[in-house]
Amino acid sequence: MNFDAVKRVLTAFEAEGVDYVVFGAAAINLLGLARATEDLDVFVGASPENIERLKTALRSVFDDPHIDEITAEDLLGDYPSVQYVPPEGSFYLDILARLGEVYRFDNIASQRVDFDGLKVNVATPAMLYEMKKGTVRPKDWADAEALRRRFGLGEP
Amino acid sequence: MPVRKFRSLQETEDALWRPPGDPKLWRAMASVWDFAARTCPRHFPPGVHKHRSIEDAQALRERWEAEDFRAFWERQRALGEGRSPRADSGKSA
Repeated sequence: MNFDAVKRVLTAFEAEGVDYVVFGAAAINLLGLARATEDLDVFVGASPENIERLKTALRSVFDDPHIDEITAEDLLGDYPSVQYVPPEGSFYLDILARLGEVYRFDNIASQRVDFDGLKVNVATPAMLYEMKKGTVRPKDWADAEALRRRFGLGEP
Repeated sequence: MPVRKFRSLQETEDALWRPPGDPKLWRAMASVWDFAARTCPRHFPPGVHKHRSIEDAQALRERWEAEDFRAFWERQRALGEGRSPRADSGKSA
């Protein structure tokens, strides 16, 4: 993933007032463990106004007509998971309005974290731990275990 | 760089963490991400991909990963064939 591109995206989210929370591997990075990842995972608030702010933010970073294909109707309806790959194609954003029946923007506990001088919304360690320990991917289990040890979470 | 000693691999992994907001963390992130991009470049089809579930999204990620993996080995093979006279001799079946 490209550090500068991620910073430009999150700067635009902040400038446009997007309701978002970073989760997944990018959040693990921001909470203290630098590791490779190919995507920026974000939960976004499920309102048409917020999705418009999200699109405005993305347009300010990427000159890409595909951004118009991100719609509130999809995210709030049958397609709660949207991957947006910018024109350069070296990383992508996973944009989620909800995850399964359990997680959505409103119930993701978050905190403000300093990212190279920019304050950004990041899921809390406890939230990430809960999300990652319940998945089927071994690398998520490894992340969950690392979070548990670092932040004294859950049971060994 | 000073020598650091660890009693276990777990201690080694735990020592990689830095406090959130530490400028050394941002430098480490930039460095790790850049290293990954240079050593294992990825390419994803630009545009918007919509999914009904996280499982669908994961399936597409796995397809992209498989395609990149195959392309990587094709590049390696082409590189090897270009450099090695033995590879050009048709010995490998």
